[in-house]
Amino acid sequence: MDRTLARRLEARFESVLHGAARQRHDQTEIRIGAGDVIDVLRSLHDEPDLAFTMLADLAGVDTGKEMQVVYHLWSATTTDWLRVIAEGLSRDEPRIPSVTFLWQGAEWMERETYDMFGIIFEGNRDLRRIYMPPDYTSFPLRKDFYLPDDAARSTGAGVRHVERSRSPVDAAPGVLRRTGA
Amino acid sequence: MTTETAPRSGEPRPAPKGTHRSTDDPNVLLQDDYDFYEPIPPYTPRTEREAEFYTLGDGEMFLNMGPQHPSTHGVLRVVLKLDGERVVDIDPVLGYLHRGVEKLVENADYHQTISQVDPLEYISSLFCEWAPVTAYERLLDVEVPRRAEYIRVLSGELNRIASHALFLGWFALDLGGLTPILWSFIERDEIVEMLAALTGQRMLFNYFRIGGVNGDLNHEFMSRLGDWMSRAVGQIEAGMGLLNENEIFVRRAAGLGVIDTEMALRYCMTGPNLRATGVPFDLRRTHPYSIYPELEFDIPTRTEGDCLARYLLRMEEIKQSIRIIDQCLDKMPDGPIMAKLPRLIRPRPGRAWSGVEGPRGVYGAYAISDGTDQPFRLKIHDPSFIHLQAVGALLPGCLLADCMAVMASLDPIMGGVDK
Repeated sequence: MDRTLARRLEARFESVLHGAARQRHDQTEIRIGAGDVIDVLRSLHDEPDLAFTMLADLAGVDTGKEMQVVYHLWSATTTDWLRVIAEGLSRDEPRIPSVTFLWQGAEWMERETYDMFGIIFEGNRDLRRIYMPPDYTSFPLRKDFYLPDDAARSTGAGVRHVERSRSPVDAAPGVLRRTGA
Repeated sequence: MTTETAPRSGEPRPAPKGTHRSTDDPNVLLQDDYDFYEPIPPYTPRTEREAEFYTLGDGEMFLNMGPQHPSTHGVLRVVLKLDGERVVDIDPVLGYLHRGVEKLVENADYHQTISQVDPLEYISSLFCEWAPVTAYERLLDVEVPRRAEYIRVLSGELNRIASHALFLGWFALDLGGLTPILWSFIERDEIVEMLAALTGQRMLFNYFRIGGVNGDLNHEFMSRLGDWMSRAVGQIEAGMGLLNENEIFVRRAAGLGVIDTEMALRYCMTGPNLRATGVPFDLRRTHPYSIYPELEFDIPTRTEGDCLARYLLRMEEIKQSIRIIDQCLDKMPDGPIMAKLPRLIRPRPGRAWSGVEGPRGVYGAYAISDGTDQPFRLKIHDPSFIHLQAVGALLPGCLLADCMAVMASLDPIMGGVDK
């Protein structure tokens, strides 16, 4: 765990951070709004004391209340993985700027996220479905998309503990929320 | 199908009755009742890029490759835009192998997800398990016993060799040489049988567990391994000798599909494809996990960044893996192979990411727990998916026949690309 990284990030991005940087194991996590993505990621990528030149992953998350886009970055200047969470995207019309201007390789990751969550990445010039057929209309990884054989919604739900029903809840750390039967 | 010479300038003549002109090539007249494949999608283009790709310039044509093509390493469809023999642009069409693993794991218990992520990269399944398993361990704050870590590294490196050996064969096969794949399958079969003795399965091992591994080393595995280790280096060098000293192969692969460091980073590349451009980025050293800090091995790099460099680099890695296996066997500690964990696990709500260095690059898993016994979200990051998109930037200007060589040198596995 790199304590100095958290302090550096808090000092540098004080005005845009949502809350303090969190650290656990080898990961540092910061949360920002969707509108600040371009500025923050450009600074993280370009500034020589940060130099997060490698985008390790781009993931969409549907918490049930809002959409998030999560970036994992790697830099030689720190021993930590940096997780940048862009939060607060509306579930009805999630929009966020694309990062393809920094990492061309994000193009397909954004296409995948669009395909699975319906998150629109403004500035991605090839934002079409990548896995599902072009005439498909749903977004399968959203929490309101249920599988036909979802055990939690079967008539036997709750009979066995592994089939206990669960509804989407925010996985906010520190708040233990148990759902279901 | 008939062809006629249409005038090069001006509108082509109207097609005779009962025929129409192909959208691929207006010089080709097709019978109206012929119902065969046209590559241009039947809807209006959805994006800027799609509109650009599906507009033909003068003298260009489309060629559809796949999804059932022997050199696409799975079921990949690539629409090529060609000008004569030169590739102008390509549009890979994915999804033929999409199984929705990320949705399935949200409806499975933590232990069950291990068998769900297994078939993603069916050539190197252990790394597909390794990433989510370590992510779960971070969610749970579990300490993995040292013997289990050693067994993980030992079996993982064997899996890496099996994967690289198969790469050697495939790469040569896509360049038109049949012999190396027969040789490399000797190696791969030995390792796969060995891992079958250890894990019970030949390909989809389902071996790693949260907090350890499923079974301890057994007699059959150890005797097969000892047997193989005594001749491994010689056999692999013999297999490499087939190619490294083959002038046709070397001249064909050198200077083809060149990637420089800046491009590799822009395309988020990792693993051998990045190291072949001169960046010594290997998570086993740059971000050590498991017991790798205790082991001695080198990170081979090359600077050329072409197909030959990527091939030679992987062969170097096989030798380093053999070194690691040697040390693992030497230092293997006694003790338990599983941490003490309840059978039904419920991690505290939180998020964890883990990356492991697989044979193709960084396998990542991003797990979110909401306090129940099923993962709230598990994002799998697969290097094949990332590397395949760079093909679109490498191919323009290449010959059609180089297409397969470039694609094979990046070593994508469609199971992982399509998830």
